[in-house]
Amino acid sequence: MKKKVIDDISRIVGDEFISTRPDVLLTYTQSASMASDPIMPGAVVRPANKEQVCEILKIAGENKIPVTPRSGGSSLQEEVIPEPDGLVVELMRLKEITLHKELRSVTVGAGVTFGELEKYLKEHDLLLPVYPESALVCTVAGNVSVNGAGPGSSLYGCIGELVLGIEVVLPDGTIITTGSEANPNASGPYQRYSFGPDITGLFIGSLGSFGIITKVSMKVYKRYKFYDYNTYGFETHEQSEHFMVDIKQHDINGIFTSLYEGPVLELFMDMIGEELGIPAHEWPFSTVSMTIGSVREDLMKSDAKLAKKLCVKNGGHVIGISQLPKQEWNGRLWFFVRACYVHGWHWRTLYHHQTPTNAHQSVEVIRKAMDKYGFLGHTAGFVSGHSSFNAYPHLYFDPQDPEDEQKIRDAHKELAKALFKTGAVPFKMAEYWSDAIEGMDSYMALLELVKKTIDSQKIMSPRKLGGI
Amino acid sequence: MTEVDLEELMENLAQCRRCGICRDAVYEKMGFDGVCPVWKNTAGFETSFMRGRIQVAIALIEGRLEKTEENAESLYTCTLCGSCTSICAAEFDPAKCLESVRQVLNEIPNETRDTIAKKIIENNNPYVDENKTRRNWVKEVGFDIPSTGEVLYFTGCTAGLKLPETAISTAKVLKAAGVDFAVLEDEPCCGSVMIRTGMVVEAKENAEKALDMILKSGAKKILVTCAGCLKTLREDFRERFGLDMPEVLHVVEYLQSLITSGKLKLKKSDKTQKITWHDPCHLGRALGVYEEPREVIKAIPGLELVEMNTNKEAAMCCGAGGGLRSYDSGLAKKIAADRIRDAEDTGAEILATACPFCEHNLKDGAASIESNIKVVDILDLLAQRLE
Repeated sequence: MKKKVIDDISRIVGDEFISTRPDVLLTYTQSASMASDPIMPGAVVRPANKEQVCEILKIAGENKIPVTPRSGGSSLQEEVIPEPDGLVVELMRLKEITLHKELRSVTVGAGVTFGELEKYLKEHDLLLPVYPESALVCTVAGNVSVNGAGPGSSLYGCIGELVLGIEVVLPDGTIITTGSEANPNASGPYQRYSFGPDITGLFIGSLGSFGIITKVSMKVYKRYKFYDYNTYGFETHEQSEHFMVDIKQHDINGIFTSLYEGPVLELFMDMIGEELGIPAHEWPFSTVSMTIGSVREDLMKSDAKLAKKLCVKNGGHVIGISQLPKQEWNGRLWFFVRACYVHGWHWRTLYHHQTPTNAHQSVEVIRKAMDKYGFLGHTAGFVSGHSSFNAYPHLYFDPQDPEDEQKIRDAHKELAKALFKTGAVPFKMAEYWSDAIEGMDSYMALLELVKKTIDSQKIMSPRKLGGI
Repeated sequence: MTEVDLEELMENLAQCRRCGICRDAVYEKMGFDGVCPVWKNTAGFETSFMRGRIQVAIALIEGRLEKTEENAESLYTCTLCGSCTSICAAEFDPAKCLESVRQVLNEIPNETRDTIAKKIIENNNPYVDENKTRRNWVKEVGFDIPSTGEVLYFTGCTAGLKLPETAISTAKVLKAAGVDFAVLEDEPCCGSVMIRTGMVVEAKENAEKALDMILKSGAKKILVTCAGCLKTLREDFRERFGLDMPEVLHVVEYLQSLITSGKLKLKKSDKTQKITWHDPCHLGRALGVYEEPREVIKAIPGLELVEMNTNKEAAMCCGAGGGLRSYDSGLAKKIAADRIRDAEDTGAEILATACPFCEHNLKDGAASIESNIKVVDILDLLAQRLE
């Protein structure tokens, strides 16, 4: 990167917060994405506020320098791997939190992690009901830009459903605020669909392709006071899938509803069951683990009672082991990250949504890929909104065996295609989905037009959003 | 045992899946309100916490990054406090790995590291040319202390040469408890800083010399007041160098039974002062000694123990460890100042610890922010309250 560019950016952020040192750049060549080729950027800058982001983007635009926004660096699908000699804009210094108590919303800077926000909201007896598995590292704004999900999503959906508005710096340095706060006189974020089309939605899951999100305003809710934790066993896919549908049809407040195949659950329990105090059990063909949460005891009790009835109605039985869902929910900032890393394998994932009754298709496709390529892996998932199911397949490999790693890359590519054919949809169109998508030419053309309009020089996160 | 198994080390480093939890996790359930003190007190690039350090380490070892002093800087701007290890979701010990990385890469120039090792080898301590002055404090205790005996008080370089009041207090407390003890005539350094900074061959040579002197004193039990000495003498001498050591105890471990058995009598107090406890990393996270010092404090009349926001496994570091105090003293003091603010937040008037190295740095941190909190060693507190 040209010295003049570095000097100009240094004047904005101060020498301390920009680096071109090889050791520093090396640490920005990758993220938590595994089996990915590291790419060396030309510089990394850590701005302190939106004004600095604005000035940085103006310089990048003038010099046609590709820009990769990054915050927690915990993304798993190559979202923040930079461009060669590009500029990484790391947003962890944007730490502001503003609560709008009466509006039941909170506005957070792009550097605020879920862990930090959870602590803050707990003091106000509130919660943001989505906890990605990387919640202790991942920022809320970063998660919005990849439209993530996690515990809480079973009731509220992906994080995009909770966004009321954003503050974003466009590639030309223009700063806009969306939602109700587009009106400078508005008393806060309270209405996302203000002034017509959903401009906010354009940036959700956009992987930084249209600008840099510097703030997000989120809906927050009263913390639950009453819980029911239970496990439900089934002997067929059909039974467990219809149970999940029934839970929704009856408006049961399942704040986290997971689905595990027997062998997958056995695998998890072998790894962390004892550590988490989950009793040994001969798990059935399929297990649904559900936490029902409510601010009212009567509602919780009534939901819990009905869930049991629906389980039996669908041919299942109530297992009654509460420790699994209890650990999933109470340990939601830790349980999943522990399960992901307690074993020695590296892995690739391919997060996607299905309908609940199609969940087994993901399992079958992944199993076929495992058989064909001969790798270890699994998939489990959870209900992720109005009528969707989030699957999180893991494809394991040995990082010190290049052949094993290549096998996983190949299988991963093929798996994306196979999943797309089953009707699966990614909630973030990471680059590798671009080869998998078929029959969406007009959709992609529109997306390209939007990209061209907003980012005519194509400096923002090139190729990240489905290859555009 | 001084050789690092490179294959095993690389396998361990590969356990890092770059999740980044070692940066700034805030997780009340495990007591964390941030993780890496260096990340928090620097410009905050990825190289300032363990995820980045591991990437740098792997690249240096594999030859993808040139082995220069600048490129290796991040390996040394770490206190090895082990906070990252406490929260790491993977099954490895990142801080221990970094210690091994420093050893493997010790051909990379680092003047600070080399100077410390040279001084220890030449002078038996990292601070002064004339090591025998480290026993000068004995003249001030008011009674004779032999240089041989079954119980040996291993003073440590910092207490002996920088904070002799801790050594004096320890001697008074042991005497009051009826413990006959000895202090070596020309006590050597335990070599902790050499091990932490990767000079393990030199550390082994030093350890063998130290053990020889310890054994010649007739010691069957070694008492220390420095957490770094404790970890080194108790753990590293045995595990790294295969040396057969007598039992090694921190005085706070030893004192607990002396206090509860009534051998150590303390003055009553008619006023109550709030006190908070800083867990030295080598005492707490490394060796699991959390409760003993707290029990000792609770047994001292007139003190009310209040905990800092982060404590025990999740305690933030004082900033001095891992060689950082020598490598970048400004950063070490900044981290110390941060810890002092944690202590101030409790409303305590006194911040106690059980490591002269922590105490020394925390005092500098307090001075840098003009804090009124009193930083003391737990032995000083006890000595002041002897009947």
